Amino acid sequence: MTALEHEPRTAGRGEPLVVLSRVQKHFGQLHALKDIELSVAKGEVVVVIGPSGSGKSTLCRAINRLETIDEGTITLDGQPLPQEGKQLANLRAEVGMVFQSFNLFAHKTILQNVTLGPIKVRGMNKADAEKKALELLERVGIEHQAEKYPSQLSGGQQQRVAIARALAMEPKVMLFDEPTSALDPEMIKEVLDVMVDLAKQGMTMVVVTHEMGFARTAADRVVFMADGAIVEEGTPEEFFTNPKSDRAKDFLGKILKH
Amino acid sequence: MRLIRTKAVVAGLGLALSLVACGDAGSDSEGADVEVKEDAASEFDDGTRMKELADAGKVKIGVKFDQPGLGFKDAADDIPTGFDVEMAKILAADLGIAEDEVEWIETISDNREPFLQDGTVDLVLASYSINEERRAVVGQAGPYLVTGQQLLVPEDSDVESTDDLQGKEVCSVTGSTSLDNAEAEGMKPVGFDTYSECVEKVLDGTVEAMTTDGTILAGYAAQNEGELKVVGEEFSEENIGVGYSKDHPEMCQWIVDTITQAHEDGLYDDAFKATLGPSGVDTPELPEMDACES
Amino acid sequence: MDAVLDNVDLYLKGFGYTIFLFLVSAAISLVLGTLLAAARVGPVAVLRTFASAYVALVRNTPLVIIFLFFQLGAGKIFDWLRFGWVDIHIGPFDFTSFFTAAVAALSLYSSAFVCESIRAGVNSVGLGQAEAARAIGLPFSGVMSQVVLPQAFRASVPPLASTFIALLKNTSVAGVFGVLDAAARMKGFTNDHADQRWGIFIAFALGYMFLVAIVSAIASVLERRWRVV
Repeated sequence: MTALEHEPRTAGRGEPLVVLSRVQKHFGQLHALKDIELSVAKGEVVVVIGPSGSGKSTLCRAINRLETIDEGTITLDGQPLPQEGKQLANLRAEVGMVFQSFNLFAHKTILQNVTLGPIKVRGMNKADAEKKALELLERVGIEHQAEKYPSQLSGGQQQRVAIARALAMEPKVMLFDEPTSALDPEMIKEVLDVMVDLAKQGMTMVVVTHEMGFARTAADRVVFMADGAIVEEGTPEEFFTNPKSDRAKDFLGKILKH
Repeated sequence: MRLIRTKAVVAGLGLALSLVACGDAGSDSEGADVEVKEDAASEFDDGTRMKELADAGKVKIGVKFDQPGLGFKDAADDIPTGFDVEMAKILAADLGIAEDEVEWIETISDNREPFLQDGTVDLVLASYSINEERRAVVGQAGPYLVTGQQLLVPEDSDVESTDDLQGKEVCSVTGSTSLDNAEAEGMKPVGFDTYSECVEKVLDGTVEAMTTDGTILAGYAAQNEGELKVVGEEFSEENIGVGYSKDHPEMCQWIVDTITQAHEDGLYDDAFKATLGPSGVDTPELPEMDACES
Repeated sequence: MDAVLDNVDLYLKGFGYTIFLFLVSAAISLVLGTLLAAARVGPVAVLRTFASAYVALVRNTPLVIIFLFFQLGAGKIFDWLRFGWVDIHIGPFDFTSFFTAAVAALSLYSSAFVCESIRAGVNSVGLGQAEAARAIGLPFSGVMSQVVLPQAFRASVPPLASTFIALLKNTSVAGVFGVLDAAARMKGFTNDHADQRWGIFIAFALGYMFLVAIVSAIASVLERRWRVV
């Protein structure tokens, strides 16, 4: 775990980039998000943890409107999220998203996966997009697999490609929705290494994860959710050593026992 | 081919048996113009198809339902009307069977031979042109009428003959001899399922003309008086005959004799005047009918 | 069989019309069916409702009734639907109002089935694929054209092949609506040569089987080539 063994950044808080205010979301009877207030500053790395079903994935997906919200506002760089259409697409181009199940485009090569957005959304020409894509693939260590199809790669490799694909859009913020939960244990590290590097380079990140090691090392702030509400937040140091709420104590007790 | 013929024989036998079972010859209901013979069965020799039919008091006759003047029936009618139908009534009456005892079955151009072969019908009088290919599979007695193909055009059309329609679309029934003839004459044939659809297409101007036997066209012209007219010389000769099953060759001479007798009695002329006459077609002489084989 | 051999030019011309009817209708119904499928899975409620209603209406209507509508009904409402403006002649083939009306009927009918085949394909593409495409900022059209439909088409090849084989055989309905296609020719042949009915049936059945075999072969090649590695 060498890459993770560095001191948590105390990155200077910049301007608020993502702001959620009084956000409510229901799935039928289930109150999935309860009155969420959250502000993520430029360059900040926020890790969202909590038991399953606590609404942390929904929160993450609401930020680029893959989930709609019932009430409240979400703003990105001061602009409220558009309802739909072209403006929403433009907004999503500014927000990178990495999914639990990678979701690489199965019919496209690794290179095409990474260049699709720059070419079709940013209007970049093919040669430039490929040059940039190869750089990104090199950065995540997949440069030799560029002509392969996703199904020919391991899970860890696929997830690194997914990160490169998101980065190719030069997003303002990266959302990670349990990026390592679908991976075999031996592949988790290679993905986390890439994420830690990103954090070091100052990327604004919202990461939903169960990887407490990552939260300790890379997070500026830990947000703990339960039953759709933010129960507690603080620095990793505060949260892991001295959780205030019973829910958090209970949760940490359960996961740290193993 | 052998297989089909065998099947037809089996079907024919089955039919004959079921007909015999029906019994009750003769009928006291009066035909419109045609006198139904009393005790007809006694006039036929044992073993002939005519005797079987007369004994049974039932006959199934295939006619067209969509050709005004020849064979036409709309939903409200019980019995079709037209010259073919009148001829059929004359034949049925000779078997002692009145028109309302006849089972009238619609035949279209495609199914006349199969219906005769498998016994679905005993006789076909459905503007049925005699030709060698047909005579190879079914019997055809006659002709009792000779017609020729003409053109039906809108009343205000300038078309006078097939010369005016070279390379033009002309409507007729898919799979009919008329369609082939139209093609041979240099017109572009357009085929539909029924003549009435063709009439529709002429009326709405999609095609300039439809073509088939003049007698059929005359019927449509009469039905749409003031809108459609028949023009042009006859450019084909169709010999209309009576279809019967090859399993019963004895029917041929009976058909020829019965129609000849009807002509002598003036029934033929009456039938023509009552059906095709109103369309403005002159009553023709009865054509010389082909000799029946043995 | 002699009747066919002696008139092989008419036989081939009949199948020529069959092939033209098939190709033109297949192309139009593929485009139309794809748009309908996109409407059915798309975000616009009005289009979704329209597309489902269209599919329900057309798929549950016999093809002959759709033919009748174009031949005898539509032109009375809108004059251009008589297709009198179509008058194309290529070699021995004439493409006029009758051919066009047949193509319209076949295309509208088949597009409902194409739509359902593609929709089945779209449903087989994981939701995550569309989400990932949206997440990189593709608009709905891009999500469909770049990510969902290419994968959906692959999954749709087997049901689409069935749809197109049905279309190929459905072209025969045009034979009684003014097009001298193979089916119309067959009727003409059997009328002229009542003694050769069986030979004629077999000759025309073989013609259709040959064409269906080609469609099936193309489908299996596409299926193999497009198989996701």
